[in-house]
Amino acid sequence: MSDRVAIVGVAQTRFAPKRPDVNYGEMAYETISQVLRQTNLALPDDIDNAISCSHDIWDGQTISNISITDVIGGHLRTEEKMALDGSTAVYYGAVGILSGEYSCTLLMAHTKMSQTNRNIVNNVAFDPIYSRMLGFDYTSAAALQARRYMYKYGITRAQIAEVVVKNLSNARFNPSAHQSGEISIADVLSSPVVAAPIHRLDIAPDTDGAVAVILASEERAKSITDKPVWLLGMGTSYDAHYLGDRDLADCRALQQAAERAYRMAGIRNPRRSADLAEVGDEFSYQELLWMEGLGLCDKGDAGRLVESGATAIGGKLPVNPSGGLLSGVPINVAGLNRVAEAVLQLRGEAGERQVKGAKIAIAQGHSGFCGQHQCVLVLGN
Amino acid sequence: MATKIQEPISIPMTVSVPYRFAAGSYLTKCLIGLRDHGTLFAVECPKCKRVQLPPRIVCATCHVRNERWVELGLEGTLVAFTIMYLPLTDPTTGKPHNPPFVYGTVRLDGATSVLDHFINVEPDLEKIRVGMRCRMILRPQAERIGDLSDILYFDPIPG
Ligand SMILES: [Zn+2]
Repeated sequence: MSDRVAIVGVAQTRFAPKRPDVNYGEMAYETISQVLRQTNLALPDDIDNAISCSHDIWDGQTISNISITDVIGGHLRTEEKMALDGSTAVYYGAVGILSGEYSCTLLMAHTKMSQTNRNIVNNVAFDPIYSRMLGFDYTSAAALQARRYMYKYGITRAQIAEVVVKNLSNARFNPSAHQSGEISIADVLSSPVVAAPIHRLDIAPDTDGAVAVILASEERAKSITDKPVWLLGMGTSYDAHYLGDRDLADCRALQQAAERAYRMAGIRNPRRSADLAEVGDEFSYQELLWMEGLGLCDKGDAGRLVESGATAIGGKLPVNPSGGLLSGVPINVAGLNRVAEAVLQLRGEAGERQVKGAKIAIAQGHSGFCGQHQCVLVLGN
Repeated sequence: MATKIQEPISIPMTVSVPYRFAAGSYLTKCLIGLRDHGTLFAVECPKCKRVQLPPRIVCATCHVRNERWVELGLEGTLVAFTIMYLPLTDPTTGKPHNPPFVYGTVRLDGATSVLDHFINVEPDLEKIRVGMRCRMILRPQAERIGDLSDILYFDPIPG
């Protein structure tokens, strides 16, 4: 049985608003063929488990992994789907390796947001016998969460806009990003209001793409790469489904997931230990809220931190040096992209967005509206 | 006093989600051939030589990239069939297929995979048999749109 799990390879498509040229399988194969080449591994012999991440309602197909079993090596073999954010696929894959059953696992997440309508898809996440007929979607729920968070902790609209400014600026150095640029707080606040206080530029755009990652046991990892990135800690937690059961300004599930991950990693003070964090900024305010849930700052202090430049590349604790989801990463794929970006940082391969001397990175992913399910991974080189 | 029996509440809802599915480069090539030239192309695995329909990027068995295209015959052999009594719906039109009708699985000449479609035969067990030869019948070219409905059905070949 393996004591440690390593990430030995990562590959990503370029994220694009629309990929009409490829179907799910072809898009997935772009990353799978690339990660196999990179690690010099071959299917089926070198990979003994495969886990994909996609959603039936997004893909428009029951058992949405059907369309990718060929390319992921799931034909007459083990392949399982994680119908949560891609970060949880890492968690699930690692559990399989730690059990001793598998030694090398291929993970792949894919989504084409362009093929359907996010508001309708996300409305289906709401309880059909309760609030679904009110038309709620993730954006409207997020607007309630943003307002509650701003009210409770005095977070300002300008501080939230600063997240967009920082992330789109970081994305200029990310070749996978679908949007980037030097914009101002005024640009964010003059973009159309979608659901007050949320403006168009506060929302991660619709995008298509895939990410593939290979996990290996310690023994296998050492024969595959001389730059393994170790999964030091992991934790997941669910919060209440009904928004009425939660205080949306706090994220208990994230705090719990983070506590578990830090305990496993032997981290007592994440503010001191972490060199960077990649978090799921599906909406700009969430980057701040998740920083607090992750214990990277005090409650209500994240707004001040982003304003001070502490979370910029080159700051004390860079957050989303990749540009995050605001630069265009599909839902479901988002968490695996957080992990892939953290791995590039820890291997020193992040190009112009490299955080110098990065040794410990935190990757966070979430599923459901207002971050109902949370997954935290601690990675180290 | 008599208690009124309360009906349990259940809420009617139609979950209607619009999609537009990209066929991908392999199926696009196949469907354009069908639409514009009335041909049907499949891919042959360079390793195991399986001729696969629908054409796809990777042979699932060998995990090698498919690059060789082969043209299939428009005639084949019936491998399995059913007589349908349910009015199943065509999701692209929302209209039902009129029962009873026959679904069949046809192995086209030159293919390893089979193709499932309608068989233009009386829904009568005396008139259908496994092993029956069939011919693919296409819509007139002007009416073809580049999906599987460009194939109207398979006609049984007498004899
Ligand atoms: Zn083959």
